[in-house]
Amino acid sequence: MTTELPPNPAAPPFTPAISVDHVSRWYGNVVAVNDISFALGPGVTGLLGPNGAGKSTLLHMMAGLLAPSAGKVSILGQSAWRSPAIYRSLGLVPEREAVHPYLTGFQFAVYNAELQGLAEPEAAAERAIATVELTDAAHRAIGTYSKGMRQRAKLAGALVHDPPVLLLDEPFNGMDPRQRLHMISLLRSMAAAGRTILFSSHILEEVERLADSILVVYAGRLAASGDFRSIRRLMTDRPHTFTVRSSDDRRLAAALMLEPAVFGAELVDGRVSVRTADFGAFTRALPRIARDSAVSLFEVAPADDSLESVFSYLVRR
Amino acid sequence: MSAIAPIVEVTFRGLLGRRRIFLLVLLAALPVLIGLLIRIAGGRPDADRVLDTLVVRFVMPLVALIVGTTVIGSEIDDGTAVFLMVKPIARWRIVLSKALVAAGLTAVLIVPAVIISSILLSRTDLATTLEAFTVACFFGGTAYAIAFLALSAFTSRAFLIGLAYVLIWEGVLASILEGTKFLSIRQATLGIAAALGVDTPGQPLAAGVSAAVLAVVIAGGFMIASWRLARFEIRGGD
Repeated sequence: MTTELPPNPAAPPFTPAISVDHVSRWYGNVVAVNDISFALGPGVTGLLGPNGAGKSTLLHMMAGLLAPSAGKVSILGQSAWRSPAIYRSLGLVPEREAVHPYLTGFQFAVYNAELQGLAEPEAAAERAIATVELTDAAHRAIGTYSKGMRQRAKLAGALVHDPPVLLLDEPFNGMDPRQRLHMISLLRSMAAAGRTILFSSHILEEVERLADSILVVYAGRLAASGDFRSIRRLMTDRPHTFTVRSSDDRRLAAALMLEPAVFGAELVDGRVSVRTADFGAFTRALPRIARDSAVSLFEVAPADDSLESVFSYLVRR
Repeated sequence: MSAIAPIVEVTFRGLLGRRRIFLLVLLAALPVLIGLLIRIAGGRPDADRVLDTLVVRFVMPLVALIVGTTVIGSEIDDGTAVFLMVKPIARWRIVLSKALVAAGLTAVLIVPAVIISSILLSRTDLATTLEAFTVACFFGGTAYAIAFLALSAFTSRAFLIGLAYVLIWEGVLASILEGTKFLSIRQATLGIAAALGVDTPGQPLAAGVSAAVLAVVIAGGFMIASWRLARFEIRGGD
């Protein structure tokens, strides 16, 4: 669930699991995160953005591993920066792969449990290892693990104390499709049990499959936030540009200009460049227009379907 | 104190499981090997001078430099420090655990080297040489290790800066500029050894000053490292 800040004064008191209040972070003259605010409660939220957008910086500030240059980050009402006590309620799966290579997966989980001060670290470690389906390899050195196994070992370390808030930085990196499905199902069941889970990704499909709500970050700014479906619709309904190669580009361009969904068509480099405001209507109309004009279509390709252009559009809105 | 034992154990395993430990053992064994060679060759060395030149000026600071900058610096560099920093543990406990490993391993490597070298090389007053250099190297090695540990909490270039301190500041400047002796861990170590009866070259620091220098370095290094870790910021990311 994503809500706007500041909260309505008339509403009952609400302590969000994660609160980011007008947070910025800069390195010298470079602004990595620019005045971002949001509050999260239980559920799975995806932090989506291209590489270099500021996702990791934001996540590290939430994990208390970076000080905000301005603003405040709180976890369950406590400041995240310089508050070791928050880690009783917080689990972090960092993006970097480095895990002590000389420890076994089980030893790593026990180490995390001991550092959490748990009464029965070995039992907690066994549970966490079983949860991430790493039991078969639990007594092998992490140095021999695949990338996906290391991700699961890190997740076991983060889950060992059963935290109500879980932050995951690109958790699906290196996982095979079966491991991804298992991770998605695991995170979903944890969210259903009332945990607040925030994970970062630069892959839209990952976020689509897992997140109830999303935060879209682009160039350090919060480009969009809220329910995944409405933001997906925004992404789909944005102006699109297609390039079309046909047997008669000039005739096709003239015919396309009569179509209400099309607001521009020009001949560029032996192709027709078509701008449309309605993705669905255009893709449905194009075969009909080609058939009625007796033109054969050889190639239809989106010219601006990269995530960069999607995020850029969301920021400009 | 429950978090200290696992941190100590994992840090030791990280140190011992790598090639670094062979280099450390070789370095620590150097005075013993040289002592053996001198004995075999039938030489009549001055044990105090050999221990001063080889152990206090060379082997001890280098061993402490390697161990001190590794116990936490390598975890910060390779990213595994994150798993330690996202735990509900007071930062001074983390530093205490790392300092125990750094000082302990330095002592484990240096003290036996001092004892064996003293036995091999001492011609007259073995008891004095043994006691003086063992005590001085134990505290001197601890001070070096904690100073370098604190340095590695600030910069990834701790090894180079520490090496420059040992070779340039202590090796050259502190010998020339009399007034800077109290800024030298080596001079404080030699001051302790001199106070316990061995003959050291030049005018050693007074026992009280030497003890104060080492105490300030140990306590100050511990506090500065704890302060720094309380403000630990992760490197990298977008």
